[in-house]
Amino acid sequence: MSTWALVAAPLAVLLLLLARRLPEGASRWLLPAATGLVAVSLWQLWCDWKSYDLTGGDGKVRRIQVFPGPLDTLAGMVKLASDGQMLRHSVASLYRVAAGFGLACLVGVPLGLWAGWSTRAMQALNPLVQALRPISPIAWIPVAILWFGIKDASAIFLIFVASIFPVVTGTMTAVRAIPQVYVRSAQNFGVRGFELFRRVVFPAALPQILTSLRIALGIAWMVIVAAEMIAVDQGLGYQIMDARNANNYDLVTASMVFIGLIGIGLDAALRRFERLDEVRWGYSKQ
Amino acid sequence: MTQHSASGTVFKAQKFTDFPSMKEALIARKIDATFMIAPLAMKLASDGVPVKICYLGHRDGSALVVGKDSPIRDFKDLAGKTVAIPSRFSNQNLLMQRMMKKNGMPIDSMVLKEVPPPEHPSALASKAVDAFIVGEPHPSKAELEGYGRVLYLMKDLWPEFISCVLVVREEVILQQRPLVQELVDGIAASGEWLDEDRETGAQHRKDAAFVVGNMFYSQKPELLEHVLTKPIDRVSYTNLMPPKETFDEIMDLAVETKVLPRRMEFAEYVDTSFAPDLLKVDVPFDRLPMPTEAQLAATKAASQPKPAEPAKK
Repeated sequence: MSTWALVAAPLAVLLLLLARRLPEGASRWLLPAATGLVAVSLWQLWCDWKSYDLTGGDGKVRRIQVFPGPLDTLAGMVKLASDGQMLRHSVASLYRVAAGFGLACLVGVPLGLWAGWSTRAMQALNPLVQALRPISPIAWIPVAILWFGIKDASAIFLIFVASIFPVVTGTMTAVRAIPQVYVRSAQNFGVRGFELFRRVVFPAALPQILTSLRIALGIAWMVIVAAEMIAVDQGLGYQIMDARNANNYDLVTASMVFIGLIGIGLDAALRRFERLDEVRWGYSKQ
Repeated sequence: MTQHSASGTVFKAQKFTDFPSMKEALIARKIDATFMIAPLAMKLASDGVPVKICYLGHRDGSALVVGKDSPIRDFKDLAGKTVAIPSRFSNQNLLMQRMMKKNGMPIDSMVLKEVPPPEHPSALASKAVDAFIVGEPHPSKAELEGYGRVLYLMKDLWPEFISCVLVVREEVILQQRPLVQELVDGIAASGEWLDEDRETGAQHRKDAAFVVGNMFYSQKPELLEHVLTKPIDRVSYTNLMPPKETFDEIMDLAVETKVLPRRMEFAEYVDTSFAPDLLKVDVPFDRLPMPTEAQLAATKAASQPKPAEPAKK
């Protein structure tokens, strides 16, 4: 039994209960740390609860652990980070996500703008997009292999497929949500055609488009494990599959944590765009 | 896991579609025994998962397959080619290493690529690999569908090849010994049943192909019949006592190729105490009960809808 988890969990809960009394500066760091500590402690306790004792034929008792706890995971993370594997796999995965998500934006944003602007285009495009959107990338794996073989292209295609439909839908919705008054005032000033699109519609929709891109990037990053189930030989998803096949479950959980951390980083990077002047007006709270 | 009937214990069979999930079910104690590839079982044991190999699943029953029109004619022609293996923790992998050594080829003279077994035929068909080595029915499938040619059956490469083994959790071995014995006896008896009329028409195997294909695996019975009868020694189900010399050889190969981290003694991961003397096994077997039309229809309805196939003849 891990006593640290039994002590840490109630302390963290207490901290969360006292949240209102914490000073503004401290709560920004203390609250997420406390939530994290609760999660990690529950993980450890769950792990302890699942372990069992096995008395052998010779009377010796062995403690059998069923799955890795937070400390095993931390050790796995240190191992992966120190021997350079982490960097190699992260770079491979980031490259695939950049390529797949980049293509999805290049194709998806124009399509979404068009479908958002023109009702006819939406009528033509939307049913197909909505029908393809819920299909899991895992279902696309055989298709990807048959079309693109077992190299990078397949994984990139899967990420593209997973992220393009949210991009199209999000962009389309963003354009359709622009208040008509913007468009009409611009028209009254004689702004028409492409100029209207460039100077009014696109800037007006941009904040919402960025939000939809953030969601799509999250999906693209989430899909990395499925995309790398294809016989590629590096990447974080590959590493999870490989560690799983080899019984190294501590490395599985370690890679999961790394995927989560990099996901936070990606989201933070995309959020920086929201601070640009062209976009900032769209966020009332900042 | 079990229910009892007058004729013995009924063991519940659970189908998995991949080894990792099965392994996790075993680690989490959701299943008590399973068939898995031998080196994977050895890896589990070496990682401290309390399991033991109690029996073999079958002998032979794999094949090395190349493209139908491929110029590859013997093992040495595979130099520089890409060969799909089911897993690095498979004896198919160790067999390739063993053959390279035997032929004096360096260990890196071909690319061995881990590909999930059901994808081997399509990987060959799409020329993503030049050859594959895996258990049945995938070699037969490539052969029957016309794009694969069997380069070697196991009897030509490593006679009495061991692929899958029966793995039982130690907890069950320690606490439910008679039950494990009954399981192993049943496997031994059904293996004997499958093999006993091999030379005289192999009706038992044909029946098994029909029943198992229709009722359990949603595989075409014709495919399974091909596996079981063409040729008749493509796979065998007798002589399933785990042999120490072969396992020692597998262990040496596995340690040498870093598939396993350390050498283990045979007794650390094998328990031969259940392996029955075939002459003493006496489980009444006649013929497998044939499914009724209603059962066949029910199974068909339960499986996923498939596109209608053109009627044959």
